[in-house]
Amino acid sequence: VRVVRIDEERELALCEDDQGERTTVEIALVSPVEPGDRLLVHAGTALTRAA
Amino acid sequence: VKHVDEYRDAELGRAVAGEILATVEPGRHYKIMEVCGGHTHSIYKYGVDDLLPANVELVHGPGCPVCVIPMGRVDDGIALAHQPGVVFTCFGDMMRVPGSDGTLLDAKAEGADIRMVYSPLDALRIAKQNPDREVVFFAIGFETTAPSTALTLKRAKADGVQNFSCMCSHVTIVPPLRALLDSPDLRLDGFVGPGHVSTVVGARPFEFIPADYGKPIVVSGFEPLDILQGVLMILRQLAEGRCEVENQYKRVVPYEGNLRALEVMAEVFELRPHFEWRGLGFISHSGLKLSEAYADLDAERRWTVPGIRVADPKACQCGEVLKGVIKPFECKVFGTACTPERPIGTCMVSSEGACAAYYNYGRFAREREVV
Repeated sequence: VRVVRIDEERELALCEDDQGERTTVEIALVSPVEPGDRLLVHAGTALTRAA
Repeated sequence: VKHVDEYRDAELGRAVAGEILATVEPGRHYKIMEVCGGHTHSIYKYGVDDLLPANVELVHGPGCPVCVIPMGRVDDGIALAHQPGVVFTCFGDMMRVPGSDGTLLDAKAEGADIRMVYSPLDALRIAKQNPDREVVFFAIGFETTAPSTALTLKRAKADGVQNFSCMCSHVTIVPPLRALLDSPDLRLDGFVGPGHVSTVVGARPFEFIPADYGKPIVVSGFEPLDILQGVLMILRQLAEGRCEVENQYKRVVPYEGNLRALEVMAEVFELRPHFEWRGLGFISHSGLKLSEAYADLDAERRWTVPGIRVADPKACQCGEVLKGVIKPFECKVFGTACTPERPIGTCMVSSEGACAAYYNYGRFAREREVV
């Protein structure tokens, strides 16, 4: 998914998949991230950033 | 789509398949295990094995999170779900896994409050919205899912959520691989290593496979070209007499893994002395439980669960499928008594299960000749 917006305080990000569906993702394990970054997400948690 | 289209290019696929054909030794039969259920799903969805020479056999491993949960553990979950005031939450696939007397879906039909969630955070949200109820999250999965559970438990503790707890059935990937390698039933030439687990643990934990057992392993991605390239890298190692850990999935897997995820897991979990795996039996230090620091969020300490070991149904051969000893279509009940609509065994439940992958993509039987 691609990061759209970040809530740094709660370590959450609003993300969008390639079909345009949006979801909130836990980013504590990969922060800092920026809008536009692509994340690999599993069970609602971002595990890594795609290079 | 970035990171997708370029790994599904048919022409490139045929080119890699040609390189594989040129690398194999005629007359030698190669058995390569793909560890992860996600790989099994992709292999049959995209017909990857049709591009391989007949003497390269893919064997399906134990890396499907739902498939390895034993029946007794499902019974424990159902017992918790029937406790007064409990909202029991779990991933969707888990609801259809048979216990000794039905599934969580059956228990829901009987009146238990069982809800499907997409993440542990959803379960925590339900707890916050229902302070008068006890919300239990049935945590399953390998190191890919465990960090999400760990972060949720940290949040629950930090937010002082008292009515949330976790029935922890997380497992780790290395002990079952070692058990398979020690098994006399199976002769393997190499492993397609688990891509998503490796985003967390990295590639380093697999170094024991070449070091102790003399087999190559290539951590690979999940698109068809990823898997084909992973197989090619294994075959090249064998052809060149090499034996090492290689990382085909570098675009998301750092060799050292995600250190922050490993830290949070080490804080929240500790290893159980042993844990039962469906078909593989008890394996030492292969399951996780909550650490002492998080014991107050352990559902198995809040309530007593039966904890009774239940034998698999006699007709079901999930154990042999999970060990790669038989192919799904060789099971006596595959596609007849056991289907995705009415599964007997766990391998037919999840899309990552080998039986479901064979069934859904029409691989009812397969005769392959050794060249």
